[in-house]
Amino acid sequence: MSRDPQTITIKVGFGDQVRELVVTIGEGDIPPYQVGDRHDEVGQRRNRVDAVAKVTGRARYTYDRKGAGMLYGKMLRSPHANANIRSVDLSKALTMPGVKAALDFVEVFKDRSARYAGCSVAAVAAETEAQAEAALDAIVVDYQVLPFAVTTEAAMAEAAPQTGRGDDRNVSARGLRDGESAADFLARIADQDQAVQEAMKGQTVVSGRFSTSVQTHSALETHGVVCDWDGDNLLCYCSTQGTFGVRRDATASPQLRARNARVVAEYVGGGFGAKFGLGREGVAGALLAKRAGRPVRLMLDRREEHVDGGNRPDSFHDLSMAVGRDGKIVALKARNWGTPGNGSGGAGARNQAYYAIPLVDKVELNVRTNAGGARAFRAPGYPQGIFALESLMDMAADAIGLDPLEFRRRNDPHPIRIHEYDLGAERAQWQKRRNRNPGAGSDPIKRGMGMAATEWFNPGGGGASCLVRIMRDGTVEVRNGAQDIGTGTRTVMGMVVAEELGLRIDQVETFIGDTRDPQGPGSGGSTTIGSLTPAARLAGYRAAEQLLGLVAGQTGWKAEDLRLRGGMVVRKDGGRLPREMSFAQACALIADEAIEVTEKHPMVGSGRNASANYEGFADTNSGLQFAEVEVDTETGKVRVLRVVAVQDSGKYLNPKTAESQIRGGVIQGVSYALFERRIMDRHQGHMLNADLENYRVVGALETPEIDVVLVDVANGKNNTSVMGLGEPPTIATAAAIANAVANAIGARVTSLPITPRKVLEALAAKGRKR
Amino acid sequence: MPADRDDSPGRESNQNAAISRRSFLKGTGLAVAAAGVAPGRALAGPGSDQEEVPVFGPGPVPIRFELNGEEVRVEVEPATTLLDLLRDRLDLTGSKRVCDRGSCGACTVQVNGRAVASCSILAVDVTGQKVRTIEGLSSAEGELSPLQQAFVDHDALQCGFCTPGMVMSCQALLERNPKPDRPAIAAGIAGNICRCGTYQNVFEAVEQASGQGGGK
Ligand code: FES
Ligand code: FES
Repeated sequence: MSRDPQTITIKVGFGDQVRELVVTIGEGDIPPYQVGDRHDEVGQRRNRVDAVAKVTGRARYTYDRKGAGMLYGKMLRSPHANANIRSVDLSKALTMPGVKAALDFVEVFKDRSARYAGCSVAAVAAETEAQAEAALDAIVVDYQVLPFAVTTEAAMAEAAPQTGRGDDRNVSARGLRDGESAADFLARIADQDQAVQEAMKGQTVVSGRFSTSVQTHSALETHGVVCDWDGDNLLCYCSTQGTFGVRRDATASPQLRARNARVVAEYVGGGFGAKFGLGREGVAGALLAKRAGRPVRLMLDRREEHVDGGNRPDSFHDLSMAVGRDGKIVALKARNWGTPGNGSGGAGARNQAYYAIPLVDKVELNVRTNAGGARAFRAPGYPQGIFALESLMDMAADAIGLDPLEFRRRNDPHPIRIHEYDLGAERAQWQKRRNRNPGAGSDPIKRGMGMAATEWFNPGGGGASCLVRIMRDGTVEVRNGAQDIGTGTRTVMGMVVAEELGLRIDQVETFIGDTRDPQGPGSGGSTTIGSLTPAARLAGYRAAEQLLGLVAGQTGWKAEDLRLRGGMVVRKDGGRLPREMSFAQACALIADEAIEVTEKHPMVGSGRNASANYEGFADTNSGLQFAEVEVDTETGKVRVLRVVAVQDSGKYLNPKTAESQIRGGVIQGVSYALFERRIMDRHQGHMLNADLENYRVVGALETPEIDVVLVDVANGKNNTSVMGLGEPPTIATAAAIANAVANAIGARVTSLPITPRKVLEALAAKGRKR
Repeated sequence: MPADRDDSPGRESNQNAAISRRSFLKGTGLAVAAAGVAPGRALAGPGSDQEEVPVFGPGPVPIRFELNGEEVRVEVEPATTLLDLLRDRLDLTGSKRVCDRGSCGACTVQVNGRAVASCSILAVDVTGQKVRTIEGLSSAEGELSPLQQAFVDHDALQCGFCTPGMVMSCQALLERNPKPDRPAIAAGIAGNICRCGTYQNVFEAVEQASGQGGGK
């Protein structure tokens, strides 16, 4: 079996856009799915392999795990928006009924700061949930209460209280001088880039201020763990997007000092970027279990999840764009700021993504506030940045009298999206559905259509392995230790192996979400499918090779003439074999119990230059979304009627689950556009709507008809030719809706969510201008 | 905001919980209710004379009800919700606790056929009633119900955490309206939040199960 890097010619593309590329693929890798390939299983609409477990309630999530003698863990949270902890007294709590262990977080995490309301400060484990809650009330914490600022605006103000610790300033930005206020800084750098300044002269320039609100992930299963120890070995069920990351945290944790840790997450009740790592709740759960000598379940409740489970930062943007007479963008100036709360990351809105913009002058400010910290959230930085950018794109198109679709096309360098404009326009009936006279007419209900583009960049990384086991009795197992957070990873992992073995997906068994199985990626950045399926396919391929070797040995047929297909051993050239042999008969030739193959995602190159990918048709996946809305100009209410989502994502291994993924992304985008915002109480510093009725998430009544158009591209870049699909479908939705609203009423709402009040304000402002 | 949804059939879970709380108050008086104690009214059956109802608590009280076709006798703390009884005591973990206050539908079960938020009803209140959970929907041999099969066929689930509640709301809907149109289906699951965004797939699944759609 050859293990050398190979230089091969591959045929990539879609429709009539087909190219041949000469690429070097990794050691031992097989050529990618490409144009003209025929598959029996891959590319078929298959039911999710774990669907039955999920519709019967049999699927066991972390939250459903229970061990003998299990205790319930609960955390105490600071009621102050900013405080230092002088002391935590657990003595009374430890004497409360049912309490078996308690933790003082000052001692455990060596941290005296509680910089937001809801910051965890202590924990208990008790026989029942009610007992644990009662014990929390008995913990005495002495706080030094400090002034606070919970909104971006308040934390940026001249004399704002310090929201962080030590000498940390509230605002950080490249070029910000000591002692300089945010306002002074922004004034000073207003025109810092001379080239952009010059380029804007004499061109059509449009400007606007845009803003978005803090959005919480609101996965239905909250963060949490069920932990049990066997000596120094930790068993940790965890609602996570990264089983191996959690394992690493557990063994590296100075608090836990686990010799080994097994992390299990067979089912995860949603993950949108916030569920990486063990977290304080995980460490607390494991430590309580260790101290009590009994299993502990510690799951956040809904309020805790909103307050302390991560969020998408808010954003404020001052944008200006200059456009030439030919409809080409000349320059973009962007100033933006937002708050990642009291977290470690930045606010990072992406304004300059994907159009060909020759000159960009961008300055970004991060504003720390006394609120729960941001975490990665489905396409971090994109939905907010793209909402602002795409709103401005429509304003620019308007200013130069170009159709917004045509304006985008002229500035779009993407090799696939450029072909999606016509496809989308036709499907959405762009010409017909656009409102020619926005806001006109006597009917208070106005209709409009808007669009926006999306793009993402992940063909997956290295580091994933997959085990394929063919048993002598014909059973096939496919194993990987990463998790399926609802994306369908488990199903496509099985499908690419089934394809190699000439079987159907329901003839292989898939195992996922247990770190005892081969390593796999964290599910973030849309990396999972592109990291995992090439390893799985290769393992399936090598296992088939071994099985056919046995067949050849026994029959005298030539192994290289054979393949597995339709549950049979067949000739590659379609010719007849001297006698029939089924897959099961072939398996009976296995001398030991099983053929076992573990393959790793092959890397191209070595050392520092090693890459998990090679050249392909496109380096990013792209898409367009068209939204049609109805706006009631009397009440300000917006209804999204229909969204057309055109999306490429490399090869679609399972169009059924891919479509679900895209619909889901659109629905979250509708929710972001119309409803979601964290509301902070300026006076008390608490989140006011930390529940699911006042923090509103889109429901069935507000769901539009979603029409998904899959653009299947044999892309190359890895052996399954896939790109990740988690993030791209949620990027453009809010922007497309905002543009549709503007097209409907002839006035623009520049702030998300687009609430009835903002719609009425925009209408009133338009009235005043007249 | 939630007012949008309040009059939808999907909200009957709340109404139902409210109804049982109302009868509860009527039967026992406010002071007892405030102490979190439940009446034995349901033992005697709905509509019976409730004047001489025994007062239970504060310790555990025995209750008896039909669960997925089988009789269950168990002692519960009066403050125990039906959801906690199902999950923690009877190991039926299909129903989920997501909001614990009647606003998400993840804990939906059927009580006498109606969709009820099991987080918002006390276990003592189902005494003498018929409770069906997601675990009771497939046949004893494990064969999926047509509705469950339709969910599978239409991929009406992603992470699956909302799914048991979603299925139970749809089941209750189909029992009272065997041929719901789209608006009726949307209204029927208006109280069920799905963060992954499976609503459209659920519409299609219900249409298949009610013999209106079919295509997969
Ligand atoms: S958990 Fe019962 S409705 Fe949300
Ligand atoms: S499938 Fe994840 S919440 Fe509905």
